Amino acid sequence: MRIPFLLLVLALSACSSRPPLTRPPVVDSGAPSSEPRPPRAESPPVVEAPPAPGASRGAVVALLDRAEHYRRLGDTDAASATLERALRIDPRNPRLWHQLAEIRLQQGRPAQAEQLALKSNALSAGDRALQASNWALVARARWAQDDPEGARRAERKAAEARP
Amino acid sequence: MPPKKRKSRRRGGKRGKNRAFRLPWLKILLLALVLAGGYIGWLDFQVYRQFEGKRWSLPARVYARPLELYAGLALRPGQFANELRALGYRTVSRPRRPGEVARDGNRFQLITRPFTFWDGREPSQTLRVSFSASRVTRLQDDRNGARLALARLEPLEIGSVHTARQEDRILVQLGEVPTLLTEALIAVEDRRFYQHHGVSPRAIARAFLVNVRSGEVVQGGSTLTQQLVKNFFLTSRRSLWRKVNEALMALLLERRYSKDEILEAYLNEIYLAQDGQRAIHGFGLGSRFFFQRPLDELSIEQIALLVGMVKGPSYYDPRRHPQRAKKRRDLVLRVMYEQGLISQAEYQKARNAPLGLVRAVAGTSKQFPAFLDLVRRQLRREYREQDLVSEGLKIFTTLDPQVQWALQKSLDRRIAPLLGTHPDMQGAGLVTHSANGEVLALAGGRRAGFAGFNRALDARRHVGSLIKPAVYLGALEQPARYSLATLLDDGPLEYAQNDGVWRPNNYDHRFHDQVMLYQALAHSYNVATARLGLDLGVDRVIATLRRLSVDRPLNPYPSLFLGATDLSPLDVTRLYLNFASGGFHVPLRAIRSILNAEGEPLQRYDLEVKRVIDPRPAYLINRALQAVVEEGTARALNRRFASSLGLAGKTGTTNDLRDSWFAGYDGAQLAVVWMGRDDNQPMGLTGASGAMQVWADLFAQTGAVPNAPAAPEGIVWHGVDRVSGGLADRGCPDTVQLPFVENGVLPPPAPCAGGRAPQWIPEWLQ
Repeated sequence: MRIPFLLLVLALSACSSRPPLTRPPVVDSGAPSSEPRPPRAESPPVVEAPPAPGASRGAVVALLDRAEHYRRLGDTDAASATLERALRIDPRNPRLWHQLAEIRLQQGRPAQAEQLALKSNALSAGDRALQASNWALVARARWAQDDPEGARRAERKAAEARP
Repeated sequence: MPPKKRKSRRRGGKRGKNRAFRLPWLKILLLALVLAGGYIGWLDFQVYRQFEGKRWSLPARVYARPLELYAGLALRPGQFANELRALGYRTVSRPRRPGEVARDGNRFQLITRPFTFWDGREPSQTLRVSFSASRVTRLQDDRNGARLALARLEPLEIGSVHTARQEDRILVQLGEVPTLLTEALIAVEDRRFYQHHGVSPRAIARAFLVNVRSGEVVQGGSTLTQQLVKNFFLTSRRSLWRKVNEALMALLLERRYSKDEILEAYLNEIYLAQDGQRAIHGFGLGSRFFFQRPLDELSIEQIALLVGMVKGPSYYDPRRHPQRAKKRRDLVLRVMYEQGLISQAEYQKARNAPLGLVRAVAGTSKQFPAFLDLVRRQLRREYREQDLVSEGLKIFTTLDPQVQWALQKSLDRRIAPLLGTHPDMQGAGLVTHSANGEVLALAGGRRAGFAGFNRALDARRHVGSLIKPAVYLGALEQPARYSLATLLDDGPLEYAQNDGVWRPNNYDHRFHDQVMLYQALAHSYNVATARLGLDLGVDRVIATLRRLSVDRPLNPYPSLFLGATDLSPLDVTRLYLNFASGGFHVPLRAIRSILNAEGEPLQRYDLEVKRVIDPRPAYLINRALQAVVEEGTARALNRRFASSLGLAGKTGTTNDLRDSWFAGYDGAQLAVVWMGRDDNQPMGLTGASGAMQVWADLFAQTGAVPNAPAAPEGIVWHGVDRVSGGLADRGCPDTVQLPFVENGVLPPPAPCAGGRAPQWIPEWLQ
C-alpha cells in the first residue's frame, strides 16, 4: 500500500513544474489540506499558443498534421474525425477548436462553425492572434448565415483583437 | 456415389418398359418422376438461393472506445494490463504475433491487432510502451526504437444488437482460418471430405469401426456437407424424410459449389454454444466467445477444443463440463497427432495445457448492460430494428472501459455495507467528457441488479439542492444587480401561497443572517436561496433551466428553487455539462460512428457545441461551484484531492435523506452520482456522505485534471472580507479573492477597510 502511494507522491512532485493544463497531479496525499487556495491572480492562467501543452503534445501535433492533410484532400469528414481525436487528448487546446470551426465552415455548416470559433475564443485568453482569427471566422460564418449586422460586429472584434 | 444412384433409378425405369407397358403404373411412375424432378429442382433452388444471397443476417456489433496510446497519457500500468487482458492479449516472454504482450515492470512490448476504424485502417504495430506510476512516458516502435506519436489499440467489443434466440457469428474467410483447424476438423469429422460427393457410405462404415474400436463415439457418419445442410436448411427434427432431404441437398450443394466454398460456409455456420438468448455460431465467434481472441491466434489445444465441440456443443460445453470437454479435446489432439498434423512434442504440450477459457462475458452484453441500453435506445430511434439485427453494422461508442470499471466498483463498494439495513439500496452514475459530451461510463444500479431498471436514465427523483446553481446563475447573469459577494438574507422566511404559507428551512435548522451569494450556494442555504429565487421569479428560473436543456415538466412553484422536482441522473448530467464546459451546451453522445458490414462509414455523430451562458457569468458560476468544494458542503473532498485541482460540484440531499446526489467535475470529466432506495424511503445519507464518496472513489481511480478555466475578458478580481462581505484591503485579516464582472455591482468597502458596517438590507433591495 505504502510504496505505490509514495511513488504517486513522487510522481506528483515531478509533475509540479508543468503548466497547469497538462493532465496532472492526480489525487494528492490524503493529508487534509487546510491551506486556503492561493488567491486567483488578475492575470488569467496562461493558455499559450503551442498546439498542445505538456507531454501529449507530440500526439496532438501528429493529429493536427493528419487533419490538415485530410482537409487539403477535401476529405472534411476524416479531417473532422481526426480533430475530434485530438480534442479528446487535449480538450482545452483552442487551436483544435479553431481548426474544427474551419472544417465546419468548409462543410457548409456556418452555425456550428460560429459556435466552435466562440468555444475556441473562450479558451484562448491572452492569444490575441488566435482570437482575431476566430472573430474573422465568426464573421465569415455570419455572412454565410445572412447576418450582415452580426458579421460586421465580428469583423470589428477581429480588428480590435489583432495584435 | 450419386451417379450410381441415378443409374439404378434409370434401370428401374427400363424394367417398367419391358414388363407392363400399358399399365397405369407407368403413368404413376412418370408422375412420380416428374414430381421428384420438380422437388429436386426446388431443393436445388433453395440451396442456390441460400448460398448465393446473403447467407447470414449479422447482428450489429457494439464497440467501446479504442485506447489511444501516446506519451503523456494518464494511465497506470495496471490499467493498461487490464485493458490488454480484456482484449484477450496473451502474456508471453517475447511477442511474435498480434495479440501477444510481454511485460517487464513498467515496460510493455506488444504486437497490436489490425483494425478498421471509421477514419481508416489501423495496421498491426509492434510497440514498446513505457510507464511511470501514473502515465505513459514513452511510446516506441519496438523493432527499431523509433518514437511514435500515437497508436490505437483495437476497441473492446461490448455487445451486439440481436433479437431473441438469434444466431450470432463473426464471418471468416477460409484464408483467415488456420490450416490446422480445417485439417483437424476434416480428420475428426469427415476424413474423405475432399474425395466424396456429399454423402459417403464409406465414411459411415469407417466411423462405425472407429467408434467400436475406441469404445466411444469419436466420429459421426455424416459428411461435413451433410452437417452443413442440416444446420443450414433444415430443422433439427430427426426423421427419415429429413435424412433423405439432407442427402439430396448435400449432393446438390456439391454439384454447384467447390469444396472450399462448402468448407468456408461450414466454418461459419456450425453451432458452438449458447449465450443466453444468443446462439454462438461459427469458429470466428466461437474463438472470441471462449478465448477472446481472433481465430488466427488460437493455440493447438484451443483449436482441438473447438473442433471437439462440433460433435455436441452443449454436451461438451467447456464452461459447464470442463472434465468432459478436456477429455474430448485430448481425443481430438490424439487424432491430430496420429494423422501427422502435429508433432509428438506439440501433442504432449497441448495435452498438458489447461482449457484456457476466458470468463463468459467476452463480447456479450453482460458487462456493460446499462451503457448498452443507452446505445440501443439511440439506435432504435434512428435505425430500423431489422437493419440493426441483420446488417452487420459496426457501432463505435464512447464507452471508456477504464472509467466504467472504476464507476461500477466505486458504486458497489459504497452500497454494499448499506445493504444490511437497506436491502433496497440502489445507486446510479454517469460520467461524461465535458468538452465533447461523450458518455464515458454509465451505471444503472448496483451490480447485483444490473439487468433491470436503468436508474441512470429512468429513475426520476427529487434533485434537492442540485437545482440551485440554475437559480444562482439567473442572478449572476444580471451583473448590475448581483455579484458573488452580494449579501443574501438567510433569516426566517414566510411566503404566502395559495395553499398556505411556505416556510423554507435550512438543513442544519439554523438561520445564518447575511451571507454572501457564493457562500449561500457553497453551504447550500435553503432560505437565502428561496429569497433569491423569489426575487428572480419562478418564470426566470424555469427559463434558465430550459435554456440549460432541462426538458422535464417543472413545478412552477417557489419550492422549485430548492429542487422540488424530479430529474434523472441523465437530466442532471445535461444540466451540469453547461457549467463544466464553460457555458457551452454539448449534446450527450454515446455513439461516435457507425460503419456498415463492409467497413464503409454510414453515419458520424459530430461534435457540436452551442454557447448558452455568456462567458462571464459562466466563469462566475464555475467559481461558486469550486467554492462548494473549497469551503462548502463538499469540503470533505479536500482530504482526498489537491486543492490546486479546483474541483467543482454540488451536493444534493432531499427530505428525510431519501436521495443522495453529487454532481461534480474536474478539468476534463463530469460525473453525476445518485444513491437512494427504489421505494423512495429514507436511507440515511446526505449528498456528501453518500454520492459524493462514490464520486471521490471514482476520481481517485481515474485521476483528476485541474479545472482552471481562463478568465474571459471583462472579469476583474477583488479581495472581499469574509466576515462582512465588503471590499477588503490590507487591513482585513480574512479575505477571499473573488471575480467580478467589470462595471457590474461591487460591494461597499468592508469595516476592516475603513467602510461602514454593511447594511442589514442588501443594497439592491432598497
